[in-house]
Amino acid sequence: MLLQQLINGLVSGCVYALVALGYTMIFGILGIVNFAQGEIYMFGAFSAVVTLAATGSIWLSAAAGIAVACIIGLLLERVAFRPLRGMHPLIPLISAIGASIFLSSLARLIFGPEDKSFPLEFHPANYSFFNAQINDLQLIIIGVSIFLMALLTAFLNMTRHGKAIIAVAMDSDAARLSGINVNRAYELTFLMGSALSGAAGIMMAVYYNATSPNMGLLPGLKGFSAAILGGVGSIPGAIIGGLVLGIAENLGAAYISSSFKDAFAFIALVLVLVLMPRGIMRSRK
Amino acid sequence: MSVYVFHVLIMMGIYSLLALSLNIIVGFAGLVSLGHAAFFGIGAYLSGILMIKGLGFPAAFFLSGCATAVLGLCLALPALRVKDDYLAIVTLGFGIIIGLVFMNLDITGGADGLVGIPPVSLFGKPLYSKPGFLGLVLGVLVIMIASMYSLKQSKIGRAWAAIRDNDVSAMFMGINVYAYKTMAFITSSFWAGLAGSLYAHYTAYINPHTFNMHTSIMILSMVVLGGIGSITGSILGAILLILLPEVLRPLADYQDIFYGALLVAMMVFRPQGIMGRVKITEMFGRKK
Repeated sequence: MLLQQLINGLVSGCVYALVALGYTMIFGILGIVNFAQGEIYMFGAFSAVVTLAATGSIWLSAAAGIAVACIIGLLLERVAFRPLRGMHPLIPLISAIGASIFLSSLARLIFGPEDKSFPLEFHPANYSFFNAQINDLQLIIIGVSIFLMALLTAFLNMTRHGKAIIAVAMDSDAARLSGINVNRAYELTFLMGSALSGAAGIMMAVYYNATSPNMGLLPGLKGFSAAILGGVGSIPGAIIGGLVLGIAENLGAAYISSSFKDAFAFIALVLVLVLMPRGIMRSRK
Repeated sequence: MSVYVFHVLIMMGIYSLLALSLNIIVGFAGLVSLGHAAFFGIGAYLSGILMIKGLGFPAAFFLSGCATAVLGLCLALPALRVKDDYLAIVTLGFGIIIGLVFMNLDITGGADGLVGIPPVSLFGKPLYSKPGFLGLVLGVLVIMIASMYSLKQSKIGRAWAAIRDNDVSAMFMGINVYAYKTMAFITSSFWAGLAGSLYAHYTAYINPHTFNMHTSIMILSMVVLGGIGSITGSILGAILLILLPEVLRPLADYQDIFYGALLVAMMVFRPQGIMGRVKITEMFGRKK
Protein backbone atom coordinates (compact mmCIF):
# COMPACT_ATOMS: atom_id res chain seq x y z
CA MET A 1 0.00 0.00 0.00
CA LEU A 2 2.67 2.47 1.03
CA LEU A 3 4.94 1.43 -1.82
CA GLN A 4 2.03 1.70 -4.26
CA GLN A 5 1.31 5.27 -3.15
CA LEU A 6 5.00 6.11 -3.46
CA ILE A 7 5.00 4.85 -7.06
CA ASN A 8 1.86 6.83 -7.94
CA GLY A 9 3.37 9.87 -6.26
CA LEU A 10 6.59 9.43 -8.20
CA VAL A 11 4.70 9.46 -11.51
CA SER A 12 2.77 12.65 -10.83
CA GLY A 13 5.85 14.09 -9.14
CA CYS A 14 7.87 13.61 -12.33
CA VAL A 15 5.26 15.57 -14.27
CA TYR A 16 5.16 18.37 -11.69
CA ALA A 17 8.95 18.47 -11.83
CA LEU A 18 8.90 18.99 -15.61
CA VAL A 19 6.44 21.87 -15.28
CA ALA A 20 8.42 23.24 -12.33
CA LEU A 21 11.60 23.28 -14.44
CA GLY A 22 9.90 25.60 -16.88
CA TYR A 23 8.81 27.93 -14.08
CA THR A 24 12.17 27.88 -12.39
CA MET A 25 14.17 28.56 -15.55
CA ILE A 26 11.98 31.46 -16.59
CA PHE A 27 11.98 32.83 -13.07
CA GLY A 28 15.71 32.35 -12.68
CA ILE A 29 16.52 34.27 -15.82
CA LEU A 30 13.76 36.89 -16.00
CA GLY A 31 12.52 37.14 -12.42
CA ILE A 32 8.91 36.68 -13.55
CA VAL A 33 6.36 33.97 -12.96
CA ASN A 34 4.90 32.65 -16.18
CA PHE A 35 1.39 31.88 -15.05
CA ALA A 36 0.46 30.64 -18.53
CA GLN A 37 2.73 27.58 -18.14
CA GLY A 38 -0.29 25.36 -17.40
CA GLU A 39 -1.95 26.50 -20.64
CA ILE A 40 1.17 25.60 -22.61
CA TYR A 41 0.94 22.15 -21.01
CA MET A 42 -2.72 21.93 -22.10
CA PHE A 43 -2.01 23.07 -25.67
CA GLY A 44 0.79 20.50 -25.95
CA ALA A 45 -1.63 17.76 -24.94
CA PHE A 46 -4.40 18.93 -27.28
CA SER A 47 -2.12 19.30 -30.27
CA ALA A 48 -0.85 15.79 -29.71
CA VAL A 49 -4.39 14.41 -29.51
CA VAL A 50 -5.44 16.19 -32.70
CA THR A 51 -2.32 15.11 -34.61
CA LEU A 52 -2.69 11.53 -33.45
CA ALA A 53 -6.31 11.44 -34.58
CA ALA A 54 -5.26 12.78 -37.99
CA THR A 55 -2.07 10.83 -38.66
CA GLY A 56 -2.08 7.87 -36.31
CA SER A 57 1.60 8.22 -35.58
CA ILE A 58 2.51 8.55 -31.91
CA TRP A 59 5.95 9.99 -32.70
CA LEU A 60 4.55 12.61 -35.04
CA SER A 61 1.91 13.60 -32.50
CA ALA A 62 4.47 13.97 -29.71
CA ALA A 63 6.61 16.12 -31.99
CA ALA A 64 3.60 18.25 -32.97
CA GLY A 65 2.56 18.69 -29.33
CA ILE A 66 6.02 19.85 -28.30
CA ALA A 67 6.35 22.09 -31.36
CA VAL A 68 3.05 23.85 -30.64
CA ALA A 69 4.05 24.28 -26.99
CA CYS A 70 7.34 25.87 -28.10
CA ILE A 71 5.65 28.24 -30.55
CA ILE A 72 3.18 29.42 -27.90
CA GLY A 73 6.01 29.90 -25.42
CA LEU A 74 7.97 32.04 -27.90
CA LEU A 75 4.91 34.11 -28.81
CA LEU A 76 4.18 34.70 -25.12
CA GLU A 77 7.70 35.90 -24.51
CA ARG A 78 7.47 38.34 -27.43
CA VAL A 79 3.98 39.69 -26.85
CA ALA A 80 3.25 39.47 -23.15
CA PHE A 81 6.63 39.56 -21.39
CA ARG A 82 9.34 41.28 -23.39
CA PRO A 83 7.65 44.72 -23.37
CA LEU A 84 7.31 44.49 -19.57
CA ARG A 85 10.90 43.75 -18.67
CA GLY A 86 12.10 45.64 -15.59
CA MET A 87 8.63 46.70 -14.41
CA HIS A 88 6.98 46.13 -11.02
CA PRO A 89 6.80 42.31 -10.66
CA LEU A 90 2.99 42.31 -10.39
CA ILE A 91 2.63 43.72 -13.90
CA PRO A 92 4.07 40.75 -15.83
CA LEU A 93 2.11 38.55 -13.41
CA ILE A 94 -1.20 40.10 -14.46
CA SER A 95 -0.10 40.00 -18.09
CA ALA A 96 0.64 36.28 -17.73
CA ILE A 97 -2.75 35.71 -16.11
CA GLY A 98 -4.39 37.54 -19.01
CA ALA A 99 -2.47 35.34 -21.44
CA SER A 100 -3.57 32.26 -19.52
CA ILE A 101 -7.26 33.29 -19.69
CA PHE A 102 -6.81 34.01 -23.40
CA LEU A 103 -5.20 30.64 -24.12
CA SER A 104 -7.67 28.52 -22.15
CA SER A 105 -10.67 30.19 -23.76
CA LEU A 106 -9.00 29.85 -27.16
CA ALA A 107 -8.65 26.12 -26.49
CA ARG A 108 -12.31 25.96 -25.49
CA LEU A 109 -13.25 27.53 -28.82
CA ILE A 110 -10.98 25.34 -30.93
CA PHE A 111 -11.34 21.99 -29.19
CA GLY A 112 -14.73 22.34 -27.50
CA PRO A 113 -15.43 22.50 -23.76
CA GLU A 114 -15.78 18.78 -23.06
CA ASP A 115 -13.09 16.23 -22.18
CA LYS A 116 -11.47 14.43 -25.08
CA SER A 117 -10.04 10.98 -24.64
CA PHE A 118 -6.72 10.04 -26.15
CA PRO A 119 -7.42 8.45 -29.54
CA LEU A 120 -5.07 5.54 -28.93
CA GLU A 121 -5.78 2.64 -26.61
CA PHE A 122 -2.97 1.55 -24.39
CA HIS A 123 -3.00 -1.79 -22.69
CA PRO A 124 -0.08 -1.42 -20.39
CA ALA A 125 1.41 -4.54 -18.87
CA ASN A 126 1.58 -4.61 -15.10
CA TYR A 127 4.61 -5.65 -13.16
CA SER A 128 4.21 -6.43 -9.50
CA PHE A 129 6.80 -6.51 -6.80
CA PHE A 130 6.46 -6.39 -2.99
CA ASN A 131 2.63 -6.19 -3.27
CA ALA A 132 2.84 -3.05 -5.41
CA GLN A 133 2.16 -2.68 -9.09
CA ILE A 134 3.77 -0.56 -11.72
CA ASN A 135 2.82 -0.56 -15.39
CA ASP A 136 4.61 0.17 -18.65
CA LEU A 137 3.08 3.60 -18.96
CA GLN A 138 4.27 4.69 -15.54
CA LEU A 139 7.75 3.36 -16.28
CA ILE A 140 7.78 5.27 -19.58
CA ILE A 141 6.68 8.51 -17.89
CA ILE A 142 9.35 8.19 -15.22
CA GLY A 143 11.96 7.25 -17.82
CA VAL A 144 11.14 10.08 -20.23
CA SER A 145 11.08 12.58 -17.37
CA ILE A 146 14.48 11.50 -16.11
CA PHE A 147 15.83 11.63 -19.67
CA LEU A 148 14.50 15.17 -20.22
CA MET A 149 15.87 16.37 -16.90
CA ALA A 150 19.29 14.91 -17.68
CA LEU A 151 19.19 16.45 -21.14
CA LEU A 152 18.36 19.87 -19.70
CA THR A 153 21.10 19.68 -17.09
CA ALA A 154 23.64 18.60 -19.71
CA PHE A 155 22.52 21.37 -22.06
CA LEU A 156 22.81 24.07 -19.42
CA ASN A 157 26.19 22.98 -18.16
CA MET A 158 27.95 21.77 -21.28
CA THR A 159 26.89 23.80 -24.31
CA ARG A 160 27.68 27.41 -25.22
CA HIS A 161 24.01 28.39 -25.32
CA GLY A 162 23.33 26.71 -22.00
CA LYS A 163 26.21 28.50 -20.34
CA ALA A 164 24.97 31.76 -21.86
CA ILE A 165 21.60 31.21 -20.14
CA ILE A 166 23.29 30.62 -16.79
CA ALA A 167 25.38 33.76 -17.29
CA VAL A 168 22.30 35.86 -18.08
CA ALA A 169 20.53 34.45 -15.02
CA MET A 170 23.47 35.47 -12.83
CA ASP A 171 23.85 39.01 -14.17
CA SER A 172 22.21 40.06 -17.40
CA ASP A 173 24.17 43.32 -17.73
CA ALA A 174 27.53 41.63 -17.30
CA ALA A 175 26.42 38.93 -19.74
CA ARG A 176 25.46 41.55 -22.32
CA LEU A 177 28.81 43.30 -21.89
CA SER A 178 30.67 40.08 -22.54
CA GLY A 179 28.91 39.69 -25.86
CA ILE A 180 26.08 37.31 -25.03
CA ASN A 181 22.87 37.89 -26.98
CA VAL A 182 20.56 38.35 -24.00
CA ASN A 183 17.34 38.28 -26.01
CA ARG A 184 18.37 34.98 -27.59
CA ALA A 185 18.97 33.56 -24.10
CA TYR A 186 15.47 34.64 -23.02
CA GLU A 187 13.92 33.08 -26.10
CA LEU A 188 15.83 29.85 -25.58
CA THR A 189 14.70 29.70 -21.97
CA PHE A 190 11.06 30.10 -22.95
CA LEU A 191 11.55 27.54 -25.71
CA MET A 192 12.94 24.91 -23.36
CA GLY A 193 10.51 25.63 -20.53
CA SER A 194 7.58 25.33 -22.92
CA ALA A 195 8.92 22.14 -24.50
CA LEU A 196 9.18 20.51 -21.07
CA SER A 197 5.64 21.58 -20.14
CA GLY A 198 4.33 20.38 -23.49
CA ALA A 199 5.97 16.99 -22.98
CA ALA A 200 4.51 16.78 -19.47
CA GLY A 201 1.04 17.61 -20.84
CA ILE A 202 1.23 14.91 -23.50
CA MET A 203 2.30 12.26 -20.99
CA MET A 204 -0.48 13.17 -18.58
CA ALA A 205 -3.05 13.15 -21.40
CA VAL A 206 -2.01 9.56 -22.17
CA TYR A 207 -1.83 8.58 -18.49
CA TYR A 208 -5.29 9.84 -17.51
CA ASN A 209 -6.68 9.35 -21.03
CA ALA A 210 -8.27 12.80 -20.93
CA THR A 211 -7.65 16.29 -22.25
CA SER A 212 -9.76 19.34 -21.41
CA PRO A 213 -9.28 23.11 -21.70
CA ASN A 214 -8.87 23.36 -17.93
CA MET A 215 -6.45 20.46 -17.55
CA GLY A 216 -3.47 22.80 -17.21
CA LEU A 217 -4.72 24.76 -14.23
CA LEU A 218 -3.84 22.50 -11.32
CA PRO A 219 -0.65 20.98 -12.77
CA GLY A 220 0.44 24.54 -13.57
CA LEU A 221 -0.18 25.70 -10.00
CA LYS A 222 1.47 22.61 -8.57
CA GLY A 223 4.44 23.01 -10.88
CA PHE A 224 4.75 26.59 -9.65
CA SER A 225 4.52 25.37 -6.05
CA ALA A 226 7.13 22.73 -6.75
CA ALA A 227 9.49 25.35 -8.17
CA ILE A 228 9.01 27.52 -5.08
CA LEU A 229 9.27 24.52 -2.77
CA GLY A 230 12.62 23.55 -4.23
CA GLY A 231 13.86 27.14 -4.25
CA VAL A 232 13.17 29.21 -7.37
CA GLY A 233 15.99 29.39 -9.84
CA SER A 234 17.44 26.04 -8.79
CA ILE A 235 17.25 23.19 -11.32
CA PRO A 236 17.76 20.30 -8.85
CA GLY A 237 15.41 22.15 -6.48
CA ALA A 238 12.61 22.07 -9.05
CA ILE A 239 13.06 18.33 -9.55
CA ILE A 240 13.10 17.58 -5.82
CA GLY A 241 10.20 19.96 -5.22
CA GLY A 242 8.10 18.23 -7.87
CA LEU A 243 8.77 14.79 -6.44
CA VAL A 244 8.09 15.88 -2.84
CA LEU A 245 4.80 17.48 -3.91
CA GLY A 246 3.65 14.47 -5.95
CA ILE A 247 4.44 12.00 -3.17
CA ALA A 248 2.98 14.20 -0.41
CA GLU A 249 -0.30 14.59 -2.23
CA ASN A 250 -0.68 10.87 -2.98
CA LEU A 251 0.14 9.88 0.60
CA GLY A 252 -2.26 12.52 1.94
CA ALA A 253 -5.04 11.35 -0.38
CA ALA A 254 -4.50 7.70 0.56
CA TYR A 255 -4.12 8.01 4.33
CA ILE A 256 -6.02 11.16 5.33
CA SER A 257 -8.77 12.25 2.95
CA SER A 258 -9.10 11.93 -0.80
CA SER A 259 -11.46 14.90 -1.18
CA PHE A 260 -8.66 17.14 0.08
CA LYS A 261 -6.11 15.69 -2.37
CA ASP A 262 -5.37 19.02 -4.02
CA ALA A 263 -4.97 20.70 -0.65
CA PHE A 264 -2.13 18.44 0.52
CA ALA A 265 0.28 19.74 -2.08
CA PHE A 266 -0.27 23.26 -0.79
CA ILE A 267 -0.24 22.29 2.88
CA ALA A 268 3.13 20.60 2.30
CA LEU A 269 4.28 23.77 0.57
CA VAL A 270 3.26 26.05 3.43
CA LEU A 271 4.88 23.74 5.99
CA VAL A 272 8.17 23.55 4.10
CA LEU A 273 8.29 27.30 3.51
CA VAL A 274 7.61 28.09 7.16
CA LEU A 275 10.49 25.85 8.18
CA MET A 276 12.79 26.70 5.26
CA PRO A 277 11.79 30.13 3.93
CA ARG A 278 14.07 29.95 0.90
CA GLY A 279 13.05 26.50 -0.30
CA ILE A 280 14.71 23.12 -0.02
CA MET A 281 17.67 23.96 -2.23
CA ARG A 282 18.40 27.61 -1.42
CA SER A 283 17.52 29.65 -4.45
CA ARG A 284 20.16 31.41 -6.45
CA LYS A 285 19.04 35.00 -6.25
CA MET B 1 -33.65 46.96 -17.39
CA SER B 2 -33.20 49.23 -14.42
CA VAL B 3 -33.03 46.15 -12.17
CA TYR B 4 -30.11 44.98 -14.29
CA VAL B 5 -28.38 48.37 -14.05
CA PHE B 6 -28.75 48.32 -10.26
CA HIS B 7 -27.39 44.78 -10.14
CA VAL B 8 -24.27 45.82 -12.07
CA LEU B 9 -23.86 48.88 -9.85
CA ILE B 10 -24.14 46.78 -6.67
CA MET B 11 -21.53 44.33 -7.97
CA MET B 12 -19.27 47.28 -8.79
CA GLY B 13 -19.71 48.52 -5.21
CA ILE B 14 -18.93 45.15 -3.65
CA TYR B 15 -15.89 44.60 -5.88
CA SER B 16 -14.70 48.16 -5.16
CA LEU B 17 -14.67 47.18 -1.48
CA LEU B 18 -12.68 44.06 -2.33
CA ALA B 19 -10.20 45.86 -4.60
CA LEU B 20 -9.68 48.60 -2.01
CA SER B 21 -9.12 46.04 0.72
CA LEU B 22 -6.56 44.18 -1.37
CA ASN B 23 -4.93 47.51 -2.16
CA ILE B 24 -4.05 47.78 1.54
CA ILE B 25 -1.87 44.67 1.16
CA VAL B 26 -0.57 45.33 -2.35
CA GLY B 27 -0.47 49.10 -2.66
CA PHE B 28 0.08 50.32 0.89
CA ALA B 29 2.32 47.63 2.32
CA GLY B 30 3.88 46.43 -0.95
CA LEU B 31 3.04 42.77 -0.32
CA VAL B 32 1.16 40.40 -2.60
CA SER B 33 -1.83 38.15 -2.08
CA LEU B 34 -3.29 35.71 -4.58
CA GLY B 35 -5.84 34.35 -2.12
CA HIS B 36 -8.04 37.34 -1.44
CA ALA B 37 -11.22 35.56 -2.55
CA ALA B 38 -10.78 33.26 0.46
CA PHE B 39 -11.42 36.19 2.82
CA PHE B 40 -14.34 37.28 0.67
CA GLY B 41 -15.74 33.75 0.95
CA ILE B 42 -15.12 33.40 4.68
CA GLY B 43 -17.02 36.63 5.30
CA ALA B 44 -19.86 35.51 3.03
CA TYR B 45 -20.24 32.03 4.54
CA LEU B 46 -19.90 33.20 8.13
CA SER B 47 -22.43 35.96 7.76
CA GLY B 48 -24.82 33.66 5.90
CA ILE B 49 -24.55 30.89 8.48
CA LEU B 50 -24.86 33.30 11.41
CA MET B 51 -28.03 34.84 10.00
CA ILE B 52 -29.55 31.45 9.17
CA LYS B 53 -28.90 30.57 12.82
CA GLY B 54 -30.99 33.58 13.77
CA LEU B 55 -28.58 36.46 14.35
CA GLY B 56 -29.60 39.96 13.22
CA PHE B 57 -27.93 41.57 10.24
CA PRO B 58 -25.83 44.24 11.98
CA ALA B 59 -24.36 41.66 14.36
CA ALA B 60 -23.71 39.09 11.62
CA PHE B 61 -22.17 41.78 9.41
CA PHE B 62 -19.82 43.03 12.08
CA LEU B 63 -18.95 39.56 13.43
CA SER B 64 -18.11 38.22 9.97
CA GLY B 65 -15.70 41.13 9.44
CA CYS B 66 -14.02 40.50 12.79
CA ALA B 67 -13.82 36.74 12.34
CA THR B 68 -12.33 37.17 8.86
CA ALA B 69 -9.76 39.53 10.37
CA VAL B 70 -8.80 36.81 12.85
CA LEU B 71 -8.34 34.38 9.93
CA GLY B 72 -6.27 37.04 8.20
CA LEU B 73 -4.06 37.03 11.28
CA CYS B 74 -3.87 33.21 11.17
CA LEU B 75 -2.69 33.36 7.55
CA ALA B 76 -0.31 36.26 8.10
CA LEU B 77 1.60 34.73 11.01
CA PRO B 78 3.10 31.83 9.01
CA ALA B 79 2.87 33.40 5.54
CA LEU B 80 4.76 36.59 6.35
CA ARG B 81 7.86 34.61 7.19
CA VAL B 82 8.36 34.51 3.42
CA LYS B 83 8.47 37.30 0.84
CA ASP B 84 7.65 38.17 -2.75
CA ASP B 85 6.92 35.20 -4.96
CA TYR B 86 7.00 32.84 -2.01
CA LEU B 87 4.28 34.91 -0.38
CA ALA B 88 2.32 34.86 -3.65
CA ILE B 89 2.27 31.07 -3.75
CA VAL B 90 1.55 30.66 -0.02
CA THR B 91 -1.49 32.96 -0.27
CA LEU B 92 -2.56 31.20 -3.45
CA GLY B 93 -2.31 27.85 -1.65
CA PHE B 94 -4.32 29.30 1.25
CA GLY B 95 -7.04 30.32 -1.19
CA ILE B 96 -7.19 26.83 -2.69
CA ILE B 97 -7.26 25.15 0.73
CA ILE B 98 -10.09 27.41 1.94
CA GLY B 99 -11.98 26.74 -1.31
CA LEU B 100 -11.70 22.98 -0.67
CA VAL B 101 -12.89 23.49 2.91
CA PHE B 102 -16.05 25.30 1.65
CA MET B 103 -16.51 22.46 -0.80
CA ASN B 104 -16.26 19.65 1.77
CA LEU B 105 -17.82 20.88 5.00
CA ASP B 106 -21.41 20.05 5.91
CA ILE B 107 -22.22 23.42 7.42
CA THR B 108 -21.29 25.25 4.19
CA GLY B 109 -23.53 23.00 2.10
CA GLY B 110 -20.60 21.49 0.19
CA ALA B 111 -20.52 21.88 -3.58
CA ASP B 112 -24.24 22.74 -3.63
CA GLY B 113 -23.59 25.92 -1.72
CA LEU B 114 -25.45 27.68 1.05
CA VAL B 115 -29.13 28.20 0.26
CA GLY B 116 -31.74 30.49 1.80
CA ILE B 117 -29.60 33.24 3.28
CA PRO B 118 -31.97 35.83 4.76
CA PRO B 119 -31.91 39.33 3.26
CA VAL B 120 -30.43 42.31 5.02
CA SER B 121 -32.78 43.77 7.61
CA LEU B 122 -32.23 47.18 9.06
CA PHE B 123 -34.26 48.53 11.99
CA GLY B 124 -36.46 45.43 11.87
CA LYS B 125 -37.39 45.80 8.21
CA PRO B 126 -36.03 43.50 5.50
CA LEU B 127 -34.33 45.37 2.68
CA TYR B 128 -35.52 43.85 -0.59
CA SER B 129 -35.22 46.77 -3.02
CA LYS B 130 -32.11 46.97 -5.17
CA PRO B 131 -31.74 50.77 -4.92
CA GLY B 132 -31.93 50.44 -1.14
CA PHE B 133 -29.22 47.79 -1.12
CA LEU B 134 -27.08 49.90 -3.43
CA GLY B 135 -27.42 52.71 -0.88
CA LEU B 136 -26.17 50.38 1.86
CA VAL B 137 -23.18 49.24 -0.25
CA LEU B 138 -22.30 52.83 -1.14
CA GLY B 139 -22.56 53.81 2.52
CA VAL B 140 -20.08 51.10 3.51
CA LEU B 141 -17.88 52.10 0.57
CA VAL B 142 -17.80 55.75 1.64
CA ILE B 143 -16.84 54.79 5.20
CA MET B 144 -14.12 52.53 3.82
CA ILE B 145 -12.70 55.19 1.47
CA ALA B 146 -12.63 57.70 4.32
CA SER B 147 -10.87 55.20 6.57
CA MET B 148 -8.38 54.35 3.81
CA TYR B 149 -7.44 58.01 3.33
CA SER B 150 -6.95 58.54 7.04
CA LEU B 151 -5.09 55.23 7.34
CA LYS B 152 -2.75 56.29 4.54
CA GLN B 153 -1.83 59.49 6.40
CA SER B 154 -1.56 57.84 9.81
CA LYS B 155 1.52 56.46 11.52
CA ILE B 156 0.53 52.96 10.36
CA GLY B 157 0.14 54.11 6.75
CA ARG B 158 3.52 55.82 6.77
CA ALA B 159 5.12 52.72 8.29
CA TRP B 160 3.57 50.62 5.49
CA ALA B 161 4.91 53.03 2.87
CA ALA B 162 8.39 52.77 4.40
CA ILE B 163 8.21 48.96 4.33
CA ARG B 164 6.92 49.00 0.76
CA ASP B 165 9.74 51.23 -0.44
CA ASN B 166 12.51 49.41 1.39
CA ASP B 167 11.85 46.97 4.17
CA VAL B 168 15.46 46.74 5.32
CA SER B 169 15.81 50.47 5.87
CA ALA B 170 12.34 50.53 7.45
CA MET B 171 13.61 47.96 9.92
CA PHE B 172 16.65 50.10 10.71
CA MET B 173 14.37 53.09 11.31
CA GLY B 174 12.88 51.09 14.15
CA ILE B 175 9.69 49.93 12.43
CA ASN B 176 8.54 46.47 13.46
CA VAL B 177 8.23 45.16 9.89
CA TYR B 178 6.59 41.84 10.76
CA ALA B 179 3.97 43.46 13.02
CA TYR B 180 3.04 46.12 10.47
CA LYS B 181 2.82 43.61 7.61
CA THR B 182 0.54 41.46 9.80
CA MET B 183 -1.57 44.54 10.48
CA ALA B 184 -1.99 45.08 6.73
CA PHE B 185 -3.35 41.54 6.35
CA ILE B 186 -5.72 41.95 9.31
CA THR B 187 -7.15 45.27 8.09
CA SER B 188 -7.48 43.99 4.55
CA SER B 189 -9.22 40.77 5.51
CA PHE B 190 -11.61 42.65 7.80
CA TRP B 191 -12.92 44.72 4.88
CA ALA B 192 -12.97 41.73 2.55
CA GLY B 193 -15.07 39.89 5.14
CA LEU B 194 -17.56 42.78 5.24
CA ALA B 195 -17.75 42.73 1.43
CA GLY B 196 -18.42 38.99 1.63
CA SER B 197 -21.24 39.54 4.09
CA LEU B 198 -22.88 42.12 1.81
CA TYR B 199 -22.52 39.77 -1.15
CA ALA B 200 -24.06 36.81 0.70
CA HIS B 201 -27.14 38.75 1.76
CA TYR B 202 -27.49 40.32 -1.64
CA THR B 203 -27.50 37.09 -3.64
CA ALA B 204 -29.18 34.95 -0.91
CA TYR B 205 -27.25 31.96 -2.28
CA ILE B 206 -23.50 31.33 -2.32
CA ASN B 207 -21.41 28.46 -3.57
CA PRO B 208 -17.67 27.66 -3.42
CA HIS B 209 -17.08 28.52 -7.10
CA THR B 210 -17.63 32.22 -6.48
CA PHE B 211 -14.64 32.32 -4.17
CA ASN B 212 -12.04 30.47 -6.23
CA MET B 213 -8.68 31.54 -7.58
CA HIS B 214 -10.21 33.33 -10.57
CA THR B 215 -11.93 35.75 -8.23
CA SER B 216 -8.68 36.34 -6.32
CA ILE B 217 -6.95 37.06 -9.59
CA MET B 218 -9.72 39.31 -10.79
CA ILE B 219 -9.51 41.40 -7.60
CA LEU B 220 -5.73 41.65 -7.98
CA SER B 221 -6.20 42.65 -11.62
CA MET B 222 -8.53 45.44 -10.50
CA VAL B 223 -5.85 46.80 -8.18
CA VAL B 224 -3.06 46.60 -10.75
CA LEU B 225 -5.23 47.88 -13.58
CA GLY B 226 -6.33 50.91 -11.58
CA GLY B 227 -2.80 51.67 -10.47
CA ILE B 228 -1.10 49.99 -7.49
CA GLY B 229 -1.61 52.05 -4.33
CA SER B 230 -4.19 54.43 -5.82
CA ILE B 231 -7.53 54.55 -4.00
CA THR B 232 -9.42 56.04 -6.95
CA GLY B 233 -7.61 53.57 -9.18
CA SER B 234 -8.90 50.53 -7.28
CA ILE B 235 -12.47 51.75 -7.67
CA LEU B 236 -11.97 52.50 -11.36
CA GLY B 237 -10.36 49.07 -11.83
CA ALA B 238 -13.34 47.40 -10.14
CA ILE B 239 -15.83 49.36 -12.25
CA LEU B 240 -13.95 48.53 -15.44
CA LEU B 241 -13.52 44.80 -14.79
CA ILE B 242 -17.17 44.38 -13.75
CA LEU B 243 -18.31 46.40 -16.76
CA LEU B 244 -16.06 44.61 -19.25
CA PRO B 245 -17.84 41.21 -19.22
CA GLU B 246 -21.19 43.01 -19.49
CA VAL B 247 -19.98 45.01 -22.50
CA LEU B 248 -18.37 41.92 -24.05
CA ARG B 249 -21.50 39.82 -23.51
CA PRO B 250 -22.69 40.14 -27.14
CA LEU B 251 -19.45 38.42 -28.17
CA ALA B 252 -20.73 35.29 -26.38
CA ASP B 253 -18.10 32.58 -26.76
CA TYR B 254 -15.39 35.08 -27.62
CA GLN B 255 -15.91 37.02 -24.39
CA ASP B 256 -13.10 35.40 -22.37
CA ILE B 257 -10.63 35.64 -25.23
CA PHE B 258 -11.12 39.40 -25.39
CA TYR B 259 -10.99 39.69 -21.63
CA GLY B 260 -7.62 37.90 -21.51
CA ALA B 261 -6.22 39.81 -24.47
CA LEU B 262 -7.34 43.14 -22.98
CA LEU B 263 -5.59 42.36 -19.69
CA VAL B 264 -2.33 41.70 -21.57
CA ALA B 265 -2.80 44.80 -23.75
CA MET B 266 -3.50 47.04 -20.77
CA MET B 267 -0.38 45.83 -18.99
CA VAL B 268 1.75 46.29 -22.10
CA PHE B 269 0.43 49.73 -23.06
CA ARG B 270 -0.29 51.24 -19.65
CA PRO B 271 1.71 49.30 -17.07
CA GLN B 272 1.40 52.01 -14.42
CA GLY B 273 -2.37 51.46 -14.34
CA ILE B 274 -5.17 53.82 -15.27
CA MET B 275 -4.40 56.27 -12.50
CA GLY B 276 -0.65 55.66 -12.27
CA ARG B 277 0.78 58.36 -10.02
CA VAL B 278 -2.00 60.83 -10.81
CA LYS B 279 -4.17 61.76 -7.86
CA ILE B 280 -7.78 62.67 -8.52
CA THR B 281 -7.59 65.52 -6.01
CA GLU B 282 -4.76 67.03 -8.04
CA MET B 283 -6.56 66.62 -11.36
CA PHE B 284 -9.39 68.87 -10.27
CA GLY B 285 -7.50 70.91 -7.70
CA ARG B 286 -5.44 74.02 -8.06
CA LYS B 287 -3.28 74.33 -11.14
CA LYS B 288 0.00 76.17 -10.98
